[in-house]
Amino acid sequence: MMREIRERSRSTMLLAATAAAAIAIPCCIALAEGAGDAATPAGAAVAASDSVVRTDRGPLAIAIVIVCGAVIGGIMLARTGRPLKIRRLAALDAVDEAIGRATEMGRSVLFVPGIQDMTDIQTVAGITILGRVAKTAAEYDAKLEVPTCRSIVMAAARDAVQAAHFEAGRPETYNEGNINYLTDEQFGYVAAVTGSMVRDKPAACFYMGAFYAESLLFAENGNSIGAIQIAGTAEPSQLPFFVAACDYTLIGEEFFAASAYLSGERDQLGSIKGQDFGKLLAVAAILIGCLLATVGVFAPEGAIAHAAETIKTTFGG
Amino acid sequence: MSSSAPAAGKPAIDISKLRYILATDCGSTTTKAILVEKVGDSWRQTQRAEAPTTVEEPFANVTIGVSNSLTEIGELAGRRFIADDGTIIRRKNDSDPDGCDLYISTSSAGGGLQMVVAGVVAQMTAASAKRAALGAGAIVMDTIASNDKRRPHERIQRIRELRPDMVLISGGTDGGNVQQVVQIAEQIAPAKPRPRFGGEYELPVIYAGNKDAAPQVRVIFSKGFDLAVVDNLRPTLEQENLGPARDKIHDVFLEHVMAHAPGYDKLMAWSDAPIMPTPGAVGDILQRIAARDGLNAVCVDIGGATTDVFSVFGGTFNRTVSANLGMSYSISNVCAEAGMQNVLRWVHIDMDERELRNRVKNKMIRPTTIPQSAEALVFEQAVAREALRLAYVQHKEFATTLKGVQQQRTVGDLFAQQASGQTIVDDMKLDLLVASGGVLSHAPKMEQTAAMLVDSFEPQGFTQLAKDSIFMMPHLGVLASVHSAAAMEVFERDCLVRLGWSVAAKGEGKWGRKCFSYRVSGAVSASGELACGDVALVRVGPEQEVEVVVEPAKEFDLGAGAGKPVTRRVKGGTVGILFDARGRPLTLPENEADRKAAVARWAQVWETR
Repeated sequence: MMREIRERSRSTMLLAATAAAAIAIPCCIALAEGAGDAATPAGAAVAASDSVVRTDRGPLAIAIVIVCGAVIGGIMLARTGRPLKIRRLAALDAVDEAIGRATEMGRSVLFVPGIQDMTDIQTVAGITILGRVAKTAAEYDAKLEVPTCRSIVMAAARDAVQAAHFEAGRPETYNEGNINYLTDEQFGYVAAVTGSMVRDKPAACFYMGAFYAESLLFAENGNSIGAIQIAGTAEPSQLPFFVAACDYTLIGEEFFAASAYLSGERDQLGSIKGQDFGKLLAVAAILIGCLLATVGVFAPEGAIAHAAETIKTTFGG
Repeated sequence: MSSSAPAAGKPAIDISKLRYILATDCGSTTTKAILVEKVGDSWRQTQRAEAPTTVEEPFANVTIGVSNSLTEIGELAGRRFIADDGTIIRRKNDSDPDGCDLYISTSSAGGGLQMVVAGVVAQMTAASAKRAALGAGAIVMDTIASNDKRRPHERIQRIRELRPDMVLISGGTDGGNVQQVVQIAEQIAPAKPRPRFGGEYELPVIYAGNKDAAPQVRVIFSKGFDLAVVDNLRPTLEQENLGPARDKIHDVFLEHVMAHAPGYDKLMAWSDAPIMPTPGAVGDILQRIAARDGLNAVCVDIGGATTDVFSVFGGTFNRTVSANLGMSYSISNVCAEAGMQNVLRWVHIDMDERELRNRVKNKMIRPTTIPQSAEALVFEQAVAREALRLAYVQHKEFATTLKGVQQQRTVGDLFAQQASGQTIVDDMKLDLLVASGGVLSHAPKMEQTAAMLVDSFEPQGFTQLAKDSIFMMPHLGVLASVHSAAAMEVFERDCLVRLGWSVAAKGEGKWGRKCFSYRVSGAVSASGELACGDVALVRVGPEQEVEVVVEPAKEFDLGAGAGKPVTRRVKGGTVGILFDARGRPLTLPENEADRKAAVARWAQVWETR
């Protein structure tokens, strides 16, 4: 039974890591869209020809190989046992503190895994973090409540929490009744959760997953009841609300890196390192492109302007 | 008439009539006595004597050692302080040629005050309980918490094994957790820890937790324990209220622990003010000095078995006891914890590691031996540097802001989110660093004491260095509870030996590149430019006042910000002003030959007069 639960928990975490690794690739593809053929002279006849390989997308293919190679290389490097350093995330370091606060105050811990289903990678990342929160709550003997917006998420959350209780050596304290499905309706869910927040006054609130208009409603309610709040989402439009109203926030990529940070698994850590290398390349390409484009303005017919145009059409569309 | 609070059952003390004050500190091995006299209009410490402590068998009476030390001090002062019947002689009038006006004492004999503390969460209420106990001068034997990763039976077993003088229980905010507080009480009560002294008396338990749990805690400890309930240490998580628990610990220390220790009933009858635990008294005088002068101060007392670090930053007092860091009984542990590599990095002469290991073990089994050669002294001071460094690291980890506190954020904090519980010890804001303990106080040269302090504490910016001349801070701490002005005066004039100043740049740079330039003007003139990795010593005497101007390179900070010049007027000391361009954190060259050359060069700077 325990092994099965651990396996399920492990597969959930690997899924999160794989999904996080996949993010870099669509980004590169998106950048390359429309980077195709050079302009055809007006009025000229267009002749169709068969081609298996689009040679104009060659640089993009090289970029994909480099990024994927970096991820694979990172994983292989990690497997050699070489120590990999990941920056400390204050939001995750504060998990113990938030649950400790709830324990001392004799109140519950609330975990909201977003409002999307398990098909959303953010929900998967949120459930991974739930495992860590549940383990700490079990060690501290604090009550953890997880209201969910999707029935499948409830099932996944129950698995994660049960596995955490086993891992903490406190299986008897697991209570599946604390992990509930409320409703699929966005604002019906919000009303139910905020209502329970006002009534029960949890001392620690976690918001980890995909959030939309309800983000500020949750965060402001949590703030008003004096809870320590830790949020994590990859929704850029909701981040400012969480940053302003919560104590700690995992921002975008940090949220996905958190699963690697928490698990400490070498494959996941290596994957994070590889992705970071890919991001570094992207940043370098952007900076070089900006520089060349700026210089190219002063000599529109020169080689620099031509190089800038090539980068733009190849990667930027 | 100005009067001060006396010990229980004693008449009020008229401090205006005081002229001769005797103070003793009953340590584990030695009872140290000092005589504080009014000389003209000012208070001075005039005599000092010591005698072996007699709390253990065959004497089993602490007052014998006290009488011996006071007899000796009387001989030195030309006054009799001990009568033929062994009691302390009191002065009857101003013309009386014998006796004193006031007798006070501290005590750490028999291992001092030993406590077990408990709380719900180790980092929150249990940490507050530990701070309260340490601040009151106790040694914390163990900390029980619901998240200490021990099973209930393991906790009960541990409590059974310990023989504390008292137990302090905290846990839960007011109106908060009751269940786990009661659970902790239910684990301690059946364990029935036995007190160290007096097998007959009931073990004192102080409860300073959630007030809602107090009725149940009273029921649990109703038989076989002497329970005292005081205000909650953490009424809310945003607030720490250590005062009531500390005061109660002092009371219980006197009423129970001292009253049952051999001869202490007599000593308490002699003493005109409540007897204080020695570390509590040291902390008290440090807090008073810091409050009076608006200083951030650190005081270290390195002993044979333990190292105590006291600090006051922004008015917040903290004390830690590093139980396994010391220069004799614990010297092996220092070498193990720091690693021989780290110890030997401070040594610039060739030494055989095997011989050093023998030397360490010899010191451990013969703790009173002192270095007989220059090589042995260099090695001992290298060990001291590491012991002090480790003790300071532990202190920084303990002296933190409160954990579990709600944070207020703005969008501007997006990339600068810091967890709570950060250390409050800021080396750049440290104003005064005081050293005491054998290896520091009895170093052959003051320069060596200063060098050990700078190398291990790595002060930044301008920091005054001092040492407690004869370890009289405990005496002055208890004196301050009766006559604060006298204690302060003696502290300034006779207690502290001002060594000088450390002026050190924060930042890292490649050795050989410019770090900062300095200019000293006034009673002494000097100037120079220091490259990274260099140190310079300018001799400025204790009574000489100078203006110091330092201009750092752009990546170094001397207190005003990176690259910004600083001007300070300072008085010198027995050593002078050390300009330290080795950078912070202080790193030594990895190459063996370069490291030795650098350490030898620094040692030479200290030696040059």
